[in-house]
Amino acid sequence: MSDASNTWQAGGERRVLIAREQLHRASALLTLLLLILGFSLASPAFFSVNNGLTILLQTSVIGLLGIGLTMVIITGGIDLSVGSVVALSGVVSAMAVKAGLPVVPAMCTGVLAGAACGAFNGFIITRLRIPPFVATLGMMLIARGVALQLTGATPISQLGAGFGRLGNGALFRVVEMQPNGFPRVIFPGIPYPAILLLIVAIAATYLLRRRQIGRHIYATGSNEEAARLSGVNVDWTKMYAYTMSGALAGLAGNVLMSRLVTAQPSEGVMYELDAIAAAVIGGASLSGGVGTISGTMIGAFIIGILRNGLNMSGVSAFIQQIVIGFVVIGAVWIDQVRNRR
Amino acid sequence: MSQHPLVEMINIEKHFGGIRAVDGVSLNVYPGEVVGVLGHNGAGKSCLMRILSGAMLPSGGEIRVNGAPVRFAEPNDARAHGIETIYQTLALANHLDAPSNLFLGRELKTRFGNLDDARMLREARTVLARLNPNFKNLRDPVSSLSGGQRQVIAIARAIYFDTKVLIMDEPTAALGPSETAMVADLIRKLQADGIGIFLVSHDMHDVFELCDRIVVMNKGRVVGAHPIGEVTKDDVLSLIVKGALPDDWTARNLEAAQ
Repeated sequence: MSDASNTWQAGGERRVLIAREQLHRASALLTLLLLILGFSLASPAFFSVNNGLTILLQTSVIGLLGIGLTMVIITGGIDLSVGSVVALSGVVSAMAVKAGLPVVPAMCTGVLAGAACGAFNGFIITRLRIPPFVATLGMMLIARGVALQLTGATPISQLGAGFGRLGNGALFRVVEMQPNGFPRVIFPGIPYPAILLLIVAIAATYLLRRRQIGRHIYATGSNEEAARLSGVNVDWTKMYAYTMSGALAGLAGNVLMSRLVTAQPSEGVMYELDAIAAAVIGGASLSGGVGTISGTMIGAFIIGILRNGLNMSGVSAFIQQIVIGFVVIGAVWIDQVRNRR
Repeated sequence: MSQHPLVEMINIEKHFGGIRAVDGVSLNVYPGEVVGVLGHNGAGKSCLMRILSGAMLPSGGEIRVNGAPVRFAEPNDARAHGIETIYQTLALANHLDAPSNLFLGRELKTRFGNLDDARMLREARTVLARLNPNFKNLRDPVSSLSGGQRQVIAIARAIYFDTKVLIMDEPTAALGPSETAMVADLIRKLQADGIGIFLVSHDMHDVFELCDRIVVMNKGRVVGAHPIGEVTKDDVLSLIVKGALPDDWTARNLEAAQ
């Protein structure tokens, strides 16, 4: 009798719980659609193929960072260093190109530099038992400092067309030569960064859902002590998450610098906050154990579209910051309300 | 009862700075035996059990499994020797569902190394149904389950694998009467299967009903080790509180024989 009622009760709660999770995802998606609708009405140029592709391009960097941060946030940690790692890895790639390496290996060097920064974060957090907030804050300064020191704070330019391929190229680009000799773009093509983001997002989803390390990432954030007692190598799991975050920041750095065809040691300031905001808007909980890549993608596009739409509507960059600040607080507040019930 | 103990802990020590949490304790369990480990909070019994389950490194002493010395650096080492633990806190990851918790750290995988969620769900359904036939909502995060159901998952995790020694830390503290009876039945069944059980409990009723032998700890030392027939509840309480038997103590079973 009591067992039966327990089961019934738990069953009822489960419906509430699943409904709650879907509600959050649905509300984020609805916000996204409302933003698109609102900006389309405000500015006719917003709802066009070209602008859509621009948004894809602009969001890809935040999206890549957001994926890495989602993994870290699910373990119950935080990574404040990704913005600086973006700059450092871009600089490392550019220097490798300047040193005579072909573009692809050079970019791999940059990604490796990012992964090394992440691994260092993981080492500090798991071995020296420094809280993630402090450890990655330190790395934020270190990576930025190294990037500035290596370049003497001057941008590295003249990297060649090959270096700009990743950031500026597009798939299925259709260009017609007109009789007057000028090219006419029929379809601008899907930007490579957007394709890269899609591939990384699918890979990360697979990792989190279908692989043991993904299960361990969730378990570590959900209850670290329980995970440890269950035989999960908690330290290794964290190392993995931070290294992935660093490597993805490295990848994002290459995309960004490639788009500029210049390595700017001062690029990527405050990107970590956009990426954290994307993850949180997408439903990741800063207390760990909760978060999805699809949610973070929605969050990244909410931020990307907000930025783009406010730009198109002629809202100043200062007001944009204020708006995004309120959006982040709102998203976390919704999360709190959701968990309190 | 067989001749060799399943597990022996010999002269185990654990120091925290100058504090001796466990001070030269020896303990063993034979197949099919339930050993009650008693003592008030801070007596060192949890420490001792954590050492045996691999969650804590001892400062000194030796652990032997089937007579062979072993060293447990982490919980997986103890599990590899068939020593499973049900923690008082249950040690469940709240956001994960029952099968994920059951197989946490020992996930079943497909040929390609992917998680085999379908098989884990099937296995979990079988083992959980054996413990509680009403367990249906397996895909829910365990945070949404009742205390009894959570306990069942923790128990299932400890007995699903090839278990030889089971450490139960306050297994009935959070349970209602019917669930407590279920745990008691389970202990008897496991005992019949030849599993050695360490039962850490404060509940005198459970202890006297289930244990074959009790070991009482006080301030990190063993102050009494008796077959259950030899002592009364008052004797045990005296050992727990005072660290010694009552002054006029004689073995209960001998007394009755006189």
